[in-house]
Amino acid sequence: MSEKVFVLGGEQTDFQRNWTKEGKTFMSMMREVLDDALEKVGISYDEIKRLNKENRVAVFVGNFDAEQYANQGHLGAFLTEVNPALYGVPGARYEAACASGSVALDAAITHIRAEDYDLAIVLGVEVMKTVSSSVGGDFLGTAAYYEKEAKGVQFPFPKLFGKLADVILERYELKEERFMDALAEISRINYANAKRNPKAQTRTWFMNKEHAMARGGDNNMAVGGRLCITDCSQVTDGAAVTILASKDYTKEYAKKTGRKVDDIPRVKGWGHRVAPITFEAKKQESVGDKYILPWTRQTVKDAYKRADLDVKHIDVFETHDCFTSSEYAAISAFGISEPGKEHIAIEEGTIDFGGKKPINPSGGLIGVGHPVGASGVRMMLDLYKQVTNTAGDYQVKGAKNGLMLNIGGSATTNFVFILGK
Amino acid sequence: MREIKTVTILGANGAMGSGSAGVIAAFGGAKVHMLARDVEKAKQGIEAAVASVKTDTIRARMIPGSYDADLEKAVAESDWVFELVAESYEVKEPINARIAKARRPGTIVSTVSSGLSIGRLAKAYDEDGQKHYYGTHFFNPPYKMILCELVTHSGNDKKVTQALGEYLDKVLGRAVVYTNDTPAFAGNRIGFQLMNEVAHFAEKYADKGGIALMDEIMSGYTGRAMGPLATADFVGLDVHKAIVDNIYDNTKDEAHETFKLPGYFQKLIDAGKLGMKSGGGLTKVVKHADGKREKFVYNIKTGEYDPYPKFDIPFIKEARQKIKDSDYKGAMDIVKNASGFEAEIARYFISRYISYSLSLVGEVVDTKENTDGAMGFGFNWVPASAFVDFLGGPKETIKMMEASKIPVPKLLKDAKEGKKFYELGDKLDARSLFKG
Repeated sequence: MSEKVFVLGGEQTDFQRNWTKEGKTFMSMMREVLDDALEKVGISYDEIKRLNKENRVAVFVGNFDAEQYANQGHLGAFLTEVNPALYGVPGARYEAACASGSVALDAAITHIRAEDYDLAIVLGVEVMKTVSSSVGGDFLGTAAYYEKEAKGVQFPFPKLFGKLADVILERYELKEERFMDALAEISRINYANAKRNPKAQTRTWFMNKEHAMARGGDNNMAVGGRLCITDCSQVTDGAAVTILASKDYTKEYAKKTGRKVDDIPRVKGWGHRVAPITFEAKKQESVGDKYILPWTRQTVKDAYKRADLDVKHIDVFETHDCFTSSEYAAISAFGISEPGKEHIAIEEGTIDFGGKKPINPSGGLIGVGHPVGASGVRMMLDLYKQVTNTAGDYQVKGAKNGLMLNIGGSATTNFVFILGK
Repeated sequence: MREIKTVTILGANGAMGSGSAGVIAAFGGAKVHMLARDVEKAKQGIEAAVASVKTDTIRARMIPGSYDADLEKAVAESDWVFELVAESYEVKEPINARIAKARRPGTIVSTVSSGLSIGRLAKAYDEDGQKHYYGTHFFNPPYKMILCELVTHSGNDKKVTQALGEYLDKVLGRAVVYTNDTPAFAGNRIGFQLMNEVAHFAEKYADKGGIALMDEIMSGYTGRAMGPLATADFVGLDVHKAIVDNIYDNTKDEAHETFKLPGYFQKLIDAGKLGMKSGGGLTKVVKHADGKREKFVYNIKTGEYDPYPKFDIPFIKEARQKIKDSDYKGAMDIVKNASGFEAEIARYFISRYISYSLSLVGEVVDTKENTDGAMGFGFNWVPASAFVDFLGGPKETIKMMEASKIPVPKLLKDAKEGKKFYELGDKLDARSLFKG
């Protein structure tokens, strides 16, 4: 596995941008991000044409809900609008709610492992600022079991992840104050990290621990049980591209660009598991288990096994902090702490930017923003930056191996990838 | 980096005072003395500060006070005194005299003035005070507009300037642009040049569409969210007058004549029609009985308000479509090659804007990145250097400038072809400032 799929790099849009306000569309977003990514990686459209003649290149588009947000489907074919060099290139759209980017990555990785293609362009995209937040909240409800969990519910996802916070608190018999303090610290870390990331949605926003702790009232409203605005990631418009390659192509590429194959990171492991779709079923199933999200833990274990690595080998994590409670649960799923003791890892600074196991140096979904279909691809791009020492101001010193967890629904679809050199 | 724990804000109840105080108390975590004419006004300023940064956590460290009762005590315990009282020497100088007496050595004092001489205001202070006196020109609203022009004068100490710049950047999250003590500094000098010259053209072409036509020609496809005259109407014609008069009186450059206030602006000001804040100026919006709003525009010839017209200018439509598709160079090709007087005007003003921005390097700022930052972060206009790239590079830009009879700045003549001219790309994606 680890000698089969390489990552050559990519690019993301500035997640602070509001494309509707700019009078632009998801199509223009796709064009900008793909042009930028190819330029950054050093692959021209002529090169794509050359590879396409030999049927060696394909595109994979991750997107959750363009039908509702932009009244457009069939996005896999849409890259032909970006540039005619993509005429004839195999392309399809992949969807798994907030893990749409990862399912696109998974398809690309699979095709390269199977030696179907040599180059895979993975593009995650979501335009979300086309509608009000309450209408958008209803659209997002389709990532849960809409009829049972979202229909008629205002902002269903904060409520589902608020329930996760409730279960964590009860199951592990935590002191509420200490637990909520830990969640606030997760929020503080993600916002602080995002300040170093020039593409982060929240880089100019105010946030500190004091504000994250001040839950309730007009300025930090409760939106899902215990969870308030500061516990939530926020939707935005955005797209990200990562470009994957076979070993053969990576050799060609390395020669052409004057790099060494050993310096180009490889996908070392992956995991993919699907938990019961409703939160209630997840809760019932996990009774008696050490982990509240056992399938998330299993996905991480699968990836470790395939990579022949363990938590001790991972220098940096990008996790799906759609809410502070999801990042909290991920800490034990990664093996950084025992389940029920995540708060200790947080208190000790283990997951902070300068800690032993930094999580979300980019700012994560809370800091970078969460354009749903783009998030998984953005995480992979951030792992690439970290392990190639190109993350600029948010570089984790000496990062060699990185792990990402991207989830769709209420931790329903779980994807993990490990990237390293 | 300089440690700033206690700050005094003078003018705490104004929009700039409360907004700046909110940023300082929130991002800086500082204790802030909020001073106004009376304590009630200062308390209103605190509430406005809380609302501007949307966090109740700052309320407890904001202390209301009045100039009469509290100025000396507040200043004496402050690391930074930020003065935001009315924009005139007559108001600022007596206040500075009081601050000068009360301040401890080492305390920074700054003003938000958008045009007054920082060197002249600094004269109220002793040597240490002059060393620590600056212009910190924040933009409105401070939480959203992150530009801060840090204006220095000849008496400053470079080490203090650097430490203050770092604090404004790293702690308060400002995009800091360093400017010299020249009239209106960088952002307003460039921005109001364009706005005022466009206003003159509106008069010249009053019978062809006047104000509305000029804003259409200079609309989003030219790299700004709001037309230049809509911007003048937004900031207020009285403020516009104060800024252009100051530049006209105190500078002599190639664009000198363009800073003369147009006669119809003065007429509107005299009639109390100052812009949006007074219910009408260059434009006005009327709410009808059925609740519908209708926009009107001032007719320079008749002095009446006409319904705001719609225009159908083919090259603008085509350029807008290109921007919508994120084809920025394609849009600029259309602008470069279109015929008709509207296209000529567009080329003239794009040329003027780039030329004037770059011509100020050396006088107002040390590097073009400072004028680029001022326009990008302060006005949300595509910076001049980025325009050069979208137009196809220095040669193409020079060609357009020469055809429009606009002087070519040395910086552009000396620029290397085939190399990106815009260097702030990692901080500010200029593409996001074009509107399709």
